[in-house]
Amino acid sequence: MIDEETLAQINGRYVMPPDAGPAWQAASEYGFDMSLVENSLTLTPEERLAEHQRVLDMLLDLNPDLNFDAPE
Amino acid sequence: MPQNDRALLRRLKDHGVEFVVIGGVCGVLHGVPLVTFDLDVCCPFSVENLRRIESAVKDLHPRHRLVASPLPLQLTDELCTRLKNLYLQTDFGKLDCLSEVAGVGDYPAVWKNSVTCGTDRGVRMLSLEALIAAKRAAGRERDLAAVRLLRAIQEKLGQKDRASKPEL
Repeated sequence: MIDEETLAQINGRYVMPPDAGPAWQAASEYGFDMSLVENSLTLTPEERLAEHQRVLDMLLDLNPDLNFDAPE
Repeated sequence: MPQNDRALLRRLKDHGVEFVVIGGVCGVLHGVPLVTFDLDVCCPFSVENLRRIESAVKDLHPRHRLVASPLPLQLTDELCTRLKNLYLQTDFGKLDCLSEVAGVGDYPAVWKNSVTCGTDRGVRMLSLEALIAAKRAAGRERDLAAVRLLRAIQEKLGQKDRASKPEL
């Protein structure tokens, strides 16, 4: 039997980790998916760059117009 | 034109360009899960370093991307002394080279506030603290949004650091 808490997590509700500090909570409340940050922090910088490249390739493949010209 | 940050970084390192990764890719390297569409670096704008950049991208059809008419990258020593920034479009995507970073300072200050990012080629990137300062100084909505994530990461890593240090 799956309890309600687990069911909510299965359905996508982010559960704040017990050690979440004020900045972490503020970013979550702002609307960022902090599970993505948690996942990213488990990777090495090299792996993060590779993952970013994979997402970038996919996005540009779907919509080449995303390639803005404005400088950062 | 596909953006290939890895290939651009490899080119810069292979050609001995002195640089520090800043901007969105620096955030990615620190763990920010946001997509960015160019590679920003801060570098010394010496003739020697600019010539190395030119050499690194010379077969990638480099051109100045913010000028109205297409203008290929063709440096002269005289032009090098007048440049402050280089916004390039290449076959590997956009490469923006800046001589200073708002909120951090000129290249020596940027280098002083950089760390090795753990990639196999020893690329340097702005430290988390310096990137937060830079994003705050940039002040655009998306920069300030990124600051929220960077501060959360800073907080999380601070907790890990404290947990890994033995109590005295």
